Parts: sequence; C-alpha cells; structure tokens
Amino acid sequence: MRLLTHNMLASNIRGVTAGYPLKLEATNWCTKEVDLNADFIRGLLPKIDWRALVGATRALGLPELLPEEQPAEEEIFAEGAADVEGSAIRRIHHALLEIHVQQGALVCPESGRTFPIDKGIPNMMLHEDEV
Amino acid sequence: MSQPALLHSHSAAFLPSTSPSRRASPPASLSSRRRRRGVVMAASSTSTAEATPAPAGLKEGIAGLYDESSGVWESIWGDHMHHGFYDSGEAASMADHRRAQIRMIEEALAFAAVPDDATKKPKTIVDVGCGIGGSSRYLANKYGAQCSGITLSPVQAERGNALAEAQGLSDKVSLQVADALEQPFPDGQFDLVWSMESGEHMPDKRKFVSELARVAAPGGTIIIVTWCHRNLEKSETSLKPDELNLLKRICNAYYLPDWCSPSDYVNIAKSLSLEDIKTADWSENVAPFWPAVIRSALTWKGLTSLLRSGWKTIRGALVMPLMIDGYKKGLIKFTIITCRKPEAA
Repeated sequence: MRLLTHNMLASNIRGVTAGYPLKLEATNWCTKEVDLNADFIRGLLPKIDWRALVGATRALGLPELLPEEQPAEEEIFAEGAADVEGSAIRRIHHALLEIHVQQGALVCPESGRTFPIDKGIPNMMLHEDEV
Repeated sequence: MSQPALLHSHSAAFLPSTSPSRRASPPASLSSRRRRRGVVMAASSTSTAEATPAPAGLKEGIAGLYDESSGVWESIWGDHMHHGFYDSGEAASMADHRRAQIRMIEEALAFAAVPDDATKKPKTIVDVGCGIGGSSRYLANKYGAQCSGITLSPVQAERGNALAEAQGLSDKVSLQVADALEQPFPDGQFDLVWSMESGEHMPDKRKFVSELARVAAPGGTIIIVTWCHRNLEKSETSLKPDELNLLKRICNAYYLPDWCSPSDYVNIAKSLSLEDIKTADWSENVAPFWPAVIRSALTWKGLTSLLRSGWKTIRGALVMPLMIDGYKKGLIKFTIITCRKPEAA
C-alpha cells in the first residue's frame, strides 16, 4: 500500500463521523523507485490531503521528509525542480509513490478499529455490526 | 454443490426503497465456510417494496468464487472479466474477443461522454468490483490518472496489483479488498466512478448506486454496465414463473442476489438527484460473447483448467448456456446506465 492509497482511504463504520485520516501502523515497509511524472502529480495534488500525508510519513518515522505546510504550487512545479535532489516535487513523489507498506494496519481514528494490511493490500471490509 | 436458493420467489419486482438494507446475521459456522459444501443462506420473504437484505454468506460466496476462478479465466481470456462489444455477426478468434472487451470500455466511455482533453479528463478513478484490475489499468493508462479498485477477493487484489507492477502502472493503480456497499473512501473523491459488470453482485441496488454517487466528485461521471432483467410491462408486478426460475438457476451459480430492471436503476439515479441520466440496451452487441466463452471452456486447455479449479468454477461454467437462453428470451438485458453528480452548488 502506497501513501497515495492511504490518503484516499477512510473508515465508514456506522456511527463514525471522523473516520479520516486513518492512522498508519506499519510493521514492514520498503521503498521502490518509480519514475517521476510531474503531470501525474499535478493532476493528483488538488485531491491530496496534505495533513494526512505528512501524518503518514511521521508514522513511518520520516519526520524530515515533508514540511508541515504544503509548499506553494509554483515551488513544487518549478522548471527543473524534478532534477534537483531534495526538491519539493521529489519529496512529494517519494512520499506518495515510492513508499510501500507491506504489513501493518490502518486504524480508525474515532473507533480504534484496525483494518489489516497484508502483502501490501488493505482489507477494508466491515463486520456485520459495523454497517 | 447443492446451493440453497439465494433468492426469494419474487426476485423480479425489486423496488427501490429508502430503508437501509438489513443484513442477516451470518451463521456461526462461517469460519469454515471455504470448506463447506454449501453455505446456508437465510431464506427471507420480503415484501416487494423493501430493499432485500444481503443473504448471509453472499459476500463470502462471491469472494470464494473469484478467489477460485480468476486464474482460470485469466489464463484463457486475459485480464478483462467482462463482455466484449461487437457489431452484429462479428468475431471469430480470441484476439477478436479481447479486442471487443477493450471496445466495450471505449464504448462505455463514449456513451457517458467522458472528456479526454488534458484539463477535463478524469484525474482520479474508482473501479468498483475491479476483478484483477483490467479496467483499472486500462483507464489509468488511457487518462494518466490514478485508479483505485475495490474487490471482495483478496486473490484478485493481489494478482491485480502484481499485474500493475509488471506493467509499470503501480504508481497509478492500486486494488484493495473492500465492499462496494461500504466504500472505504471519503465523499466526493473520484472524477470517474466505474462499475463494469459488478452491479449484478450487489444485494442492495439502491445502496450500491448511492455509494457510487457519494464517492463521485461534484461534476464527476458515473458509469454502470450491468446485467438486468427486462423492464416489467405496466400490467405486471413480477416476471413470469419460468423467467424467475431461469434467473434463480443463474444466480445460484454466480452468487448473484436479486436482479432488477434498467428502469429500476434509472429511478434510483433520479431519486439521488443525479443528472444527465442515460441508459441503453446493449444485449445485441454482446451476443457473441457467451458462445465464445463456452467454446473456450470446451478446448483442451479450458477443460483441464476447469477440472483443476474447483466446483464453484465448474458450476459457473455449466450454467453458461442459461445466460444464452436468458438473452434469447429477452429476459436478460445487458445494460449501460450513466449519469453525472451535480456540480457543487
């Protein structure tokens, strides 16, 4: 599960009103390089919840990866930024797409219910009494 | 496997309801469900005006069917688990059929008038009932978009993610295990909401469509391609007994709950204030599909794969002629329904 996916998942347990973002607990994660595609990130960025993304990186023990506040678009998509190590776009790309959580759990922030992540796949199925 | 009826007798006269579907509580023995010869379904007699509760064990049955049969399908048909779209009298080779499956996707997008210019094309997509992610990968690739898929089958999710990785699409496509009736996403997330032949499995059509609408972004497009039964005549309150019987036999094999009609879907969409609602009957355009599937099952590869697969898959294969029968009788309608979520006020 990449953090892009984590950013899109929520807990819809009956009665829960604040089921987003899910807390991330990872027992096994790794990084896999993938090509940076600025247009793809540009299309996605409006839909990304920055706070949830930062929270996920902190949960993985990466407090230095992303700043608290989302950098300005001009900075992220500045000409040539993709070639600069440590640039905003490369950090965002790394956080969203290159981190893979293989084992762990996503936790509903309101109810505490855990959704397991197994072999990189979150299982978001609700139990009978949660619908 | 003797599968007790999933349906009650008036499966045809489904009417949308505003009451949430009640789930029957599962039998205590579900923990060993995979090894059981038959899952006991709660028989229920509901009035036609209520939403049908999900039969106990339906989701596990669906997951089990696809966990078992996905590999067999993929080895013969590839990664699209849906009908092909054909011009009449067309098609011969497997290559033709695979092309037709791609065409089905394109025809659905065209029918819904999904924009493909750079600013207006979808950036985020959800594939509801994604199988092994054939549509997810196709759409993500076509639009350069992010696509999340949901399936009840862990085997499918794993296989689909592996295929995405192999095709260099793992940044764009991710499949999760989740229930389409309780989508694990916040509201308004997706520019394109895609359900290609998964609606048949949904026990509560209204909840299904309302979840599609919920996760659609304002102005987003919803596309549903699904099997329906024919619209009822004004004088009818249900399908005829022989029609119900045919559907029941198909439902038992494919883990399908009650069917509804295209009009039912249109009425549900209207009741949810969805806009630009369009529907069409594509039954004639899919006619070559089931005969082709049967022929592929009867090849040496098909037969040996089936024999190695498991009873659920075999039973699904044995029931295929009933699908042809249903289409010929005008009972089964291959239907597309598309609409748009209103723009934010």
